[in-house]
Amino acid sequence: MSSGPDWRHVAAGCALLVSHVLSAQTLAAGASVQAGAPAAQAPAGESKNINDWLMRMHEASGKRSYIGTFVVSYDGVMSSAKIWHVCEGAQQMERVETLTGAPRSIYRHNDQVVTFLPGQKVVRTEKRESLGLFPELLRSADSRIAEFYKAKQEGSERVAGVEADIVALIPKDALRFGYRVWVEPKRGMVVKLQTLDGDGKVLEQAAFSELQFDAPVKMDKLLQMMGKVEGYRIEKPELVKTTASAEGWVLKTPVAGFQPMSCYKRPSAVPSRGEPMQWVFSDGLASVSVFAEPYDAERHLKESRMSMGATQSLTRRLDAYWLTVMGEVPFATLRHFADGLERRK
Amino acid sequence: MKPKTQNLELISALVDGQLVGEDFALALSVCDVDAEARGRWEAYHLIGDVLRAPGSTVPARDAGFVRRLNARLAHEPALVGATLLTLAPGLMMPAGAADESQRREAANDSSLRWKLLAGFASITAVAAIAWNAGSGLLSPAPQLALQEAPQQVLVVSEQGTMVRDARMQELLAAHKQFGGTSALQGPSGFLRHATFETPQDERR
Repeated sequence: MSSGPDWRHVAAGCALLVSHVLSAQTLAAGASVQAGAPAAQAPAGESKNINDWLMRMHEASGKRSYIGTFVVSYDGVMSSAKIWHVCEGAQQMERVETLTGAPRSIYRHNDQVVTFLPGQKVVRTEKRESLGLFPELLRSADSRIAEFYKAKQEGSERVAGVEADIVALIPKDALRFGYRVWVEPKRGMVVKLQTLDGDGKVLEQAAFSELQFDAPVKMDKLLQMMGKVEGYRIEKPELVKTTASAEGWVLKTPVAGFQPMSCYKRPSAVPSRGEPMQWVFSDGLASVSVFAEPYDAERHLKESRMSMGATQSLTRRLDAYWLTVMGEVPFATLRHFADGLERRK
Repeated sequence: MKPKTQNLELISALVDGQLVGEDFALALSVCDVDAEARGRWEAYHLIGDVLRAPGSTVPARDAGFVRRLNARLAHEPALVGATLLTLAPGLMMPAGAADESQRREAANDSSLRWKLLAGFASITAVAAIAWNAGSGLLSPAPQLALQEAPQQVLVVSEQGTMVRDARMQELLAAHKQFGGTSALQGPSGFLRHATFETPQDERR
């Protein structure tokens, strides 16, 4: 598995779990199995369902338009946003207006993301390689996820006004969290997701509270709004693609299931701070970022750990470097990364 | 103790944010011992709230909540300087008033209801306490703009305590840009990221 956008794993994971739902229901489309798709280590039946699902999702993504209210909550803290989503052909577009905290408008057109911060009169534009479209997903039939998670159907429930199938995604080892996913079966859309720790406690929940399908959302209108940057200062965060080995880093003990996905450098506004490196790993559902930057006694006070909903992080000093490891995984997993990293330069 | 009228002037100045240094400390201690001064503090805020938002009713500060908060804060001695442990109703104060020498290490997670900071570096120069009796639930980040934005800000909210570390928030944003578990919406956890607070924005 070469490096590539990690969303593909995410979607494949989604595919996996939904494939189980499908197998229990309408497997009418099951006839068109791609013969060339590598089955990897997963059982053949599972792989077949994944491919079916991917195709289905690809088809569905071309039609899906909706307006909804999306709520993310953890530890009694809640953030919410209003979402407009539209697909036209291969084009995807989204508008997100935050309803809590500082006002923000985020527009996404395929992998282009523009964030308006009206309070500061600043607009940020970024290209997010991790946000691709489905065709690429179809080209990589990756079912490695089945090695590390098992899916279990848990009935159905109404979410945001739609009947959704519930699927539990249970980790097979203690290196990752579990998930419970609510999927709207007709469109294959995830309407609710919980991240669960080893004891089954909900760490974080994200869900639509209200959803209107086939809403009159016009892409050209959203594009127009996305382009209205007059009066705003434009910020363009620079991101340089690199490799960990080019930066002198190696993970001497791999963490089971986690593959390196991408590696970036971010030129810092403060030159003395060097260029922090971000090395991204994924097991298909969860992702881990390893940040490495030059150690600075003034800023890097104490090795520590932090937890925020599903996202955990810890810091570690390694000689002249300061490591921050962050991801939607248990601390023990982050520790494996932090301890396994080595300088080779 | 000073004559009452002088206390009331002091409270008025405190409400207006005009006090620094010794006067600030004095006003706090007045609030601590003088119930009338605390009453004034509330009244002045109520007046200010009404003036700023005509037509809307302003809920009275919940004295019971303040008591509970104080009681809870008293159980978290390692967090902030002792000067901060008693809060008058509705009071927001920058802990910068606390001497630099009073910097403490962040509490370890066992003493916190939330594990948000979990021994997350020591609290430097300025720590801030903010609390919002009514709307805390909806706001992950009780906002408090600090003059010289410090690396780390300690926020005590109704839900607990957390450190807002500007650098950490940047990394969090970077991580979410490429990661995010959610299978939600196919392509990555974009919605999760977009919906999540990015306190980076508040910082400026």
